[in-house]
Amino acid sequence: MTPSTKEKAETITVCSVAELADGAMRLVETDGRKIGVFRCGEDLYAIEDRCSHDDGPLAEGEFDATACTVECPRHGSLFDLRSGRPKTLPAFQPVDTFEVRVEGDDVKLEV
Amino acid sequence: MATPDMTVPTLSPKELTEQEAALKEIGSDYAERFGFRDPETGYAYKAPKGLSEQVVRDISEYKSEPDWMREFRLKALAHFQQRPTPTWGGNLGEIDWDDIHYFVRASEGAGRSWDEVPEDIKKTFDRLGIPEAERKFLSGVGAQYESEVVYHQVREDLEKQGVIFCDMDSGLREHEDIVREYWATVIPPNDNKLAALNSAVWSGGSFVYVPAGVKVEMPLQAYFRINTENMGQFERTLIIAEEGADVHYVEGCTAPVYSTDSLHSAVVEIIAKPGAHVRYTTVQNWSHNVYNLVTKRAVAYEDATMEWVDCNLGSKLTMKYPSVYLLGPKAHGEILSIAFAGAGQHQDAGGKIIHGAPKTTSSIFAKSISKDGGRGSYRGLLEVAKGATEARSKVVCDALLLDEESRSDTYPTIRIDENDANVGHEASVSKIGEEQLFYLQAHGLDEEEASKMIVNGFIEPITKELPMEYAVEMNRLIELQMEGSIG
Repeated sequence: MTPSTKEKAETITVCSVAELADGAMRLVETDGRKIGVFRCGEDLYAIEDRCSHDDGPLAEGEFDATACTVECPRHGSLFDLRSGRPKTLPAFQPVDTFEVRVEGDDVKLEV
Repeated sequence: MATPDMTVPTLSPKELTEQEAALKEIGSDYAERFGFRDPETGYAYKAPKGLSEQVVRDISEYKSEPDWMREFRLKALAHFQQRPTPTWGGNLGEIDWDDIHYFVRASEGAGRSWDEVPEDIKKTFDRLGIPEAERKFLSGVGAQYESEVVYHQVREDLEKQGVIFCDMDSGLREHEDIVREYWATVIPPNDNKLAALNSAVWSGGSFVYVPAGVKVEMPLQAYFRINTENMGQFERTLIIAEEGADVHYVEGCTAPVYSTDSLHSAVVEIIAKPGAHVRYTTVQNWSHNVYNLVTKRAVAYEDATMEWVDCNLGSKLTMKYPSVYLLGPKAHGEILSIAFAGAGQHQDAGGKIIHGAPKTTSSIFAKSISKDGGRGSYRGLLEVAKGATEARSKVVCDALLLDEESRSDTYPTIRIDENDANVGHEASVSKIGEEQLFYLQAHGLDEEEASKMIVNGFIEPITKELPMEYAVEMNRLIELQMEGSIG
């Protein structure tokens, strides 16, 4: 993608902080793309809802808030939410990560 | 590993005569040589048939495992129960999951001398020639009988260099930190239904750790034996080769002949760190009442080489596709596969190579032979992922059909996401030709001898990669399978 056509990052509101408790996940859809927003303690992370192994849904897999990982429900690859990198095969390529932060009472996501 | 020469070599009549002489020493068929059955007297424990949370908890408790392993097993059991039985490949619909003993312990603990192994079991391995082979040409031996390893030994000089070769249960007890770091990172429990089953009820198998720079010159061998009827054997093997390490692991498998089916479902995970070289050789000769459903996968990092040499002769149905993930630049993967399908057998074999880094190279050579209505299938995947620039690969699959009733199928999948990949694929299906037979018969061979020679020539590019003792064994086994195939 050339710089002239690069889309500017857009900030969207996911939910209020109170609605995203520790260990919870919110799935948001923007421009036809699904993104999972996860809360691990006080930290928030966002990754695309697509396993890099076979493009299946990822964010609704088993979420371990302590280890900050999510497990692909289809073939079991474990992804580190902080980096988007798989910790186990069969996936070996990272998934996209997004910046997520708290502004006021809201969880904001940059896409 | 040298690229196999794909031309059919010609053997002189003199060489054949020597081979025939070696064959006559065998003088028996599978039922006599491998298919014998031992009495189950003196067994330490035999789980009731069927799979439940209680059986899984019992196995874990029986082995005094750490909590994390028990939880791992229980989670895997849930995956197994949730996943449907695969409908592709072979027919798994006839497996009655409730009619299987998932854990059978024949003796207490693994001996480090054959004298410590219970007499009946020792006799079995004597009969299979394992102690003799250990003395002659192996660096270490593991012998698994039913669910657990009954004997394990590794050469002292290797132990001093830090090489670990022990049964997986001992590996977990004595090297928990290393095991936990790598466990299920190559094959997670939810990878597929059979990997989930193995993860829930695994027992035995080998743990191999080779420190950086250590080269294990002679092979390490594991021998797996099922004795009980309706038994499930679920060994789990983990091999870690640190940077620049070199190791060759060989496994062999046999079982008694029964009228009802047994199940063998292993998981093998291999990690080849940068510059390491790992070869894993299998000579699978299960009896024809064993379902052999195995997940084998390796990861090779920068400049590492991973080789699978996979020979499938026995079993009722084998579904096995050893794979290599090439995840570092210039890593190399190689799969050599032979499948022999006789009457009532289906060998669904092949391999998978995934190029995940630049300048990686690979080859898959698969050969299947079908006779007496047997079915041989090649199922393979070659993938060049985005970013794996300048990848090179060659896939060759050849099938030989010995009669009109037999069947051969090829299911190759190739996915290329880089423009500069160099990938070749060749496939052939052939029958033993009248002309070839006529030519050999004109040189004084009878029809059966001529057929054996053609088959041996067909598989020779792969058997020549086996350690010598195994190549001889493999040729003998093929010859046995071929007996009576003419007329």
